[in-house]
Amino acid sequence: MKLSFSAEDEQFREEIAAWLNDNLTGEFAKLKYRGGPGDEHTFPQERQQWEKKLAEGGWTCVGWPKEYGGRGCSIEQQVIFFEEYARAGAPGRVGHIGEGLAGPTLIAFGTEEQKQKYLPGIVAGSELWCQGYSEPGAGSDLANVKTKARFDEASGKWILDGQKVWTSLAHESDYCFVIARTDPDSVAHKGLGFFLVKMDQPGVEVRPIEQITGTSEFNEVFFDGAECDAQDIVGAPGDGWKVAMGLLGFERGVSTLGQQMQFQNELDQVVELARKNGAGQDPTIRQRIARAHAELKIMRYNAMRMLSGQSGSDGSLQKEALIYKLFWATWHRSLGELAMDVMGPECEILEGGPYELSRLQSMYLFVRSDTIYGGTNQIQRNIIAERGLGMPKEPRVAAK
Amino acid sequence: MDFTFSEDQLLFQESVKDFLTNEVTPERIRASWESDDGRDSALWNQLAEMGLTGLTVPEAHGGLGMSELDFVLLAQECGYVALPEPLVHTAMVAVPLLCQIGGELADLWLPKIAAGEAKVVVGLEQNLLVEDAHVADLLLLQRGDSIVAATPGQVELRHNESVDPSRKLYAVEVSDSATVVAEGEQAQALVTGALDRGALGCAAQALGLAQRMVDISVQYTSERQQFGQAIGAFQAVKHHMANVAVSLEYARAPVHRAAYSVAAGEPIASHAVSHAKLVACDAAKLAAKNCIQVHGAMGYTWEVDLHIFMKKAWALANTWGDAGFHKTRIGEHIFAEGAVLGAGATF
Repeated sequence: MKLSFSAEDEQFREEIAAWLNDNLTGEFAKLKYRGGPGDEHTFPQERQQWEKKLAEGGWTCVGWPKEYGGRGCSIEQQVIFFEEYARAGAPGRVGHIGEGLAGPTLIAFGTEEQKQKYLPGIVAGSELWCQGYSEPGAGSDLANVKTKARFDEASGKWILDGQKVWTSLAHESDYCFVIARTDPDSVAHKGLGFFLVKMDQPGVEVRPIEQITGTSEFNEVFFDGAECDAQDIVGAPGDGWKVAMGLLGFERGVSTLGQQMQFQNELDQVVELARKNGAGQDPTIRQRIARAHAELKIMRYNAMRMLSGQSGSDGSLQKEALIYKLFWATWHRSLGELAMDVMGPECEILEGGPYELSRLQSMYLFVRSDTIYGGTNQIQRNIIAERGLGMPKEPRVAAK
Repeated sequence: MDFTFSEDQLLFQESVKDFLTNEVTPERIRASWESDDGRDSALWNQLAEMGLTGLTVPEAHGGLGMSELDFVLLAQECGYVALPEPLVHTAMVAVPLLCQIGGELADLWLPKIAAGEAKVVVGLEQNLLVEDAHVADLLLLQRGDSIVAATPGQVELRHNESVDPSRKLYAVEVSDSATVVAEGEQAQALVTGALDRGALGCAAQALGLAQRMVDISVQYTSERQQFGQAIGAFQAVKHHMANVAVSLEYARAPVHRAAYSVAAGEPIASHAVSHAKLVACDAAKLAAKNCIQVHGAMGYTWEVDLHIFMKKAWALANTWGDAGFHKTRIGEHIFAEGAVLGAGATF
């Protein structure tokens, strides 16, 4: 065990810190601390430009292998990258779904042709991705996907019909990875395919969903005869579930580091406010801040521990991936409540009209979604108990 | 950066785990409750033979010269079996304090501890009472601004029953003839260090205690049938256990991080320890609460072993600094002038 960074890594820290200091200026200065969770609707154009700026400096996809255009950074360097990115207040990444999910999935499961076609756009920060999993009838029961993909022999293309929902950033995205049923007679996780679908085409319609924040990051996406080239299915027809689950593994890996640093910035803001308005003098508030601090540290330690690659002698780390979602979502929701209690009576007063929320108010509302999307807390507990602890499975009603 | 234990550390943990789970059974613990002093000298000798009493004793004094980081996984295993013997206290608190005091006192007592021939206990004012004073050959006691070393002849003991029958607690009156071994700032630093190590020992044991309660309860809920199926299949039961699993799993890294910090003598060691003590004991308390609940009425009986572990968790949570004490220390760290908290303060 060695809980410190090498001199070489500290030099890397200086390099990224200096680059951010030099480049997060001018037109980009207003993006500082913006675009995080609950704030993703802000400055979409400017943040896309920022994505390209990052790419010019070689700071997108830092953990990807060099052969795919990445920087080939070690785990330590990725930790440092995310720390410095957050410390500089650099904005929420619009390219994170491509960089963190679509790209690694293609690197792991894609054909050489798919890699050549899609990875450069992600690395360049010029092509954005969204994730088409959930449907009106496939929420917690994610495998109950109804969107159909039919191979049309005449055109040699896959034709998609159906509806996705809760699709983050669909309105900004160039591509969507979609799970759809390739075998119309199949049920549950069998008979699905994983498709790479171009968003800008007549068969795709995006409708924003207005959230309790009054803003729209989530969308409904309708596929009505949407086309997808024959070579744009990842894996074979029927392999969709396997690919989709592989992707979830990436969601729980290095990309969590960036999320934790955003959380750190939010917590710092709450602490700062508590110092200023005197709420920090209240012992109950202090203890809740202490707890929030302690639990965020836990998330970071666990990320490091997981990335260090040790499977615990007590078999503990296999559970790590299962429990992270429940832990961070619950933590974040509590942070929202803490933020409002620190604000005190001012917490209900808006920044301005119409419905202009402060960052903390927006966060307080947004965190309500954290314990729901990506598997509700209740679903997570089922998974932890059954797969993590080995408790008996709940009897299922036979699928029709 | 490397957040892993070495192969050697893990192998040692494994062999200690095997030994303890074979030897320290709930039956043996219950038997110790009935004995005169509640202590098992045969077991202590076995622990000494394995090198455990001398694990943190320097090699020059006949020990293995290992650190708190080497011991932390073993302390977890002591918790897993609810070991009544004061092994964690010895290796984590008494030996490091003796090493720091140094001089003739260390030269005299460290080899005896390593050989299993003597027990040394530490009494701090943070704790109401002194653990295992009745079997101590030497007591190191905080008395205001100083630390004194007292022999059994220099103290008067008054036994206090603990909710955990394995814990033997004593109010200690010390005679003026006891030797002052540290004073003033030096004593204060030693007291802080001892408190941190004691709290770290509690935290590590709490992980083991929580794990044991989980294991017992997963087994029970997988076997106990109601409404025609194992009760563990019901979500209401599962979710109790899942909450414990999360709390426990996420308490591990802070405990290991604190052990590293203490062993390396980092300036933030006290903060890291408070973090570890807080979350590990919370995990153990949650385990106790939920595991009794999923046992139904059986969990409330003296016959079922669960309460052995539950009571030790309860006791450890409130000694060597309770939750309020440790949360306050974390709060002071956060609100300190010029505190470095955010990005870049990972370690």
